[in-house]
Amino acid sequence: MLLAQQIINGLMLGSVYVMVAVAFTLTIGMLNFLNFTIPALFMVAAMITWAATAAGFHWLVGASLGMVVAIIASLIIERFTYRYMKAKYGDATEHALPLVSSLGFLIIFEHVVIMIWGTDPMSFNSPFANAQFVIAGLIFAIPQLISLALSVALVFALSLLLKKTQLGRALRSIAEKPDTATLMGVDVGRIVPVVFMMTGFLCALAGILFTINYKNVSPYIGDHVATNAIAGMVIGGLGNIWGAIAGGLIIGMVEVLSIHFWGAEIIKVPVWGLMLLILVFRPTGLFGHTRIGKGKF
Amino acid sequence: MLLEIKDIDVRYGRNHAVKTISLNIEQGEIVTVLGANGAGKSSLLKAVQGMVRLSGGNIIFDGEDISRWSAPKRVQNGISLVPEGRQIFVSMSVEDNLLMGAYSRKEGDISAEIEAVFERFPNLKERRHMSAAVLSGGEQQMLAVGRAMLARPKIMMLDEPSLGLSPLLVKQLFELIKELNDNGLSILLVEQNTHMALQYADRGYVLELGDIVASGTPDKLLADEKLTEAYLGGG
Ligand SMILES: Nc1ncnc2c1ncn2[C@@H]1O[C@H](COP(=O)(O)OP(=O)(O)OP(=O)(O)O)[C@@H](O)[C@H]1O
Ligand SMILES: [Mg+2]
Repeated sequence: MLLAQQIINGLMLGSVYVMVAVAFTLTIGMLNFLNFTIPALFMVAAMITWAATAAGFHWLVGASLGMVVAIIASLIIERFTYRYMKAKYGDATEHALPLVSSLGFLIIFEHVVIMIWGTDPMSFNSPFANAQFVIAGLIFAIPQLISLALSVALVFALSLLLKKTQLGRALRSIAEKPDTATLMGVDVGRIVPVVFMMTGFLCALAGILFTINYKNVSPYIGDHVATNAIAGMVIGGLGNIWGAIAGGLIIGMVEVLSIHFWGAEIIKVPVWGLMLLILVFRPTGLFGHTRIGKGKF
Repeated sequence: MLLEIKDIDVRYGRNHAVKTISLNIEQGEIVTVLGANGAGKSSLLKAVQGMVRLSGGNIIFDGEDISRWSAPKRVQNGISLVPEGRQIFVSMSVEDNLLMGAYSRKEGDISAEIEAVFERFPNLKERRHMSAAVLSGGEQQMLAVGRAMLARPKIMMLDEPSLGLSPLLVKQLFELIKELNDNGLSILLVEQNTHMALQYADRGYVLELGDIVASGTPDKLLADEKLTEAYLGGG
């Protein structure tokens, strides 16, 4: 029974990883860019949700503000990492520099937040603390169920968008052959920011749900969640949004079950050990990966 | 004059790929540009499409100076390039490739035109929902041409479309180009298959190391012995 409860908890936690893993996998799949500011976007949305609520505003005010700030921040990051490098060197995807500059943004964001609110973890007074139900002795927290449902629904919607819409085709064409996409009339400079807006949205949503579910924030939560999301993404398969679901949920379960069996100190070892093991036996992740193709003419 | 290329230069750093050349295309013409590897043929087409920056000169299309237009804007206004090496989106289905061809179009229903492309190329129709990666070289070239057709261009530029095709397919391809041209499409054709190109073209230019060294009707170009020896693959 206790184990069943842990599995449920693991899935719920994993659903937050799923959203962040999707954000990572989108930028990697589309732009071949490992965006290191993702943890900061997650954390900023979480901290703003907490800070506004602590200051007496409705939690929705904080969440909306966090969402807007994360999306704007993500667009700024696009402007100064990806686009800057592309304008300067022709093809950002062939340089490690965007990765390094995104790491710079991560550190700056974290330290700005630390300067404002300090490093101590803060507790979030959740309006849904008692929103739960019990089936056969198993506890289901409603906000957690909502995040699980949302993460699956979002991946579903995203995959429809990519498959069936004009915007989705434009995004996939940029992923495969940016020059040929331009040749078809795709304005790459206008479409790429869409990826970053999606990134900001997904990270902020994950950050807000994490805050509500786990009632704790700190300037460093983004690092923990995002590194686990990276492991989840790799396990699922780079660039594959369906893989991100599986990977995120697996990581959530491994984490919770490791705590259950071995205690909290060790959790990074099974999570990253599993990822390395999977890389050895299936370098493409469990679900292979969509082509991260780049062709030139 | 549909397209007027006036004294354009293309440079890649110190490499002067296109050296102040001028050429023009009348409405309804097939014009071919011939030349050896590295002559600057692709650079010329990319310059017209807006894929490389001009470092000098002007391009006038349909009476407007488009030299500063972005590539997407040029597509929208009727210039389409079938690039060297076909550049099919292999991560997409055949049908999605055609839909990408119509990306620049604003007006609604293109399904009839897509069906028309499929009627023309039955091989593509059979594979419409399959990944474009499974197509043969010839089928990919047909898809590349079909994709460009869906942009409804006024001028279609083709960069070595016959490369790697069997003689029979080359013939079919040129017949297709001729047919599109009969329906009013102007063509700027870059080729290394000089005999086929000159057989179908109204006029030709010969490019050497970024310079135009000869131009005129196919008969005139073929009559020039020095030229046929040096650039046009012997007599
Ligand atoms: N992106 C680039 N950067 C630097 N130099 C380039 C670039 N593209 C082309 N060049 C150079 O410009 C010159 C013309 O190249 P271009 O591709 O236009 O020739 P081409 O006539 O199309 O040749 P081919 O028949 O081999 O396709 C060549 O010397 C080539 O090396
Ligand atoms: Mg070429």
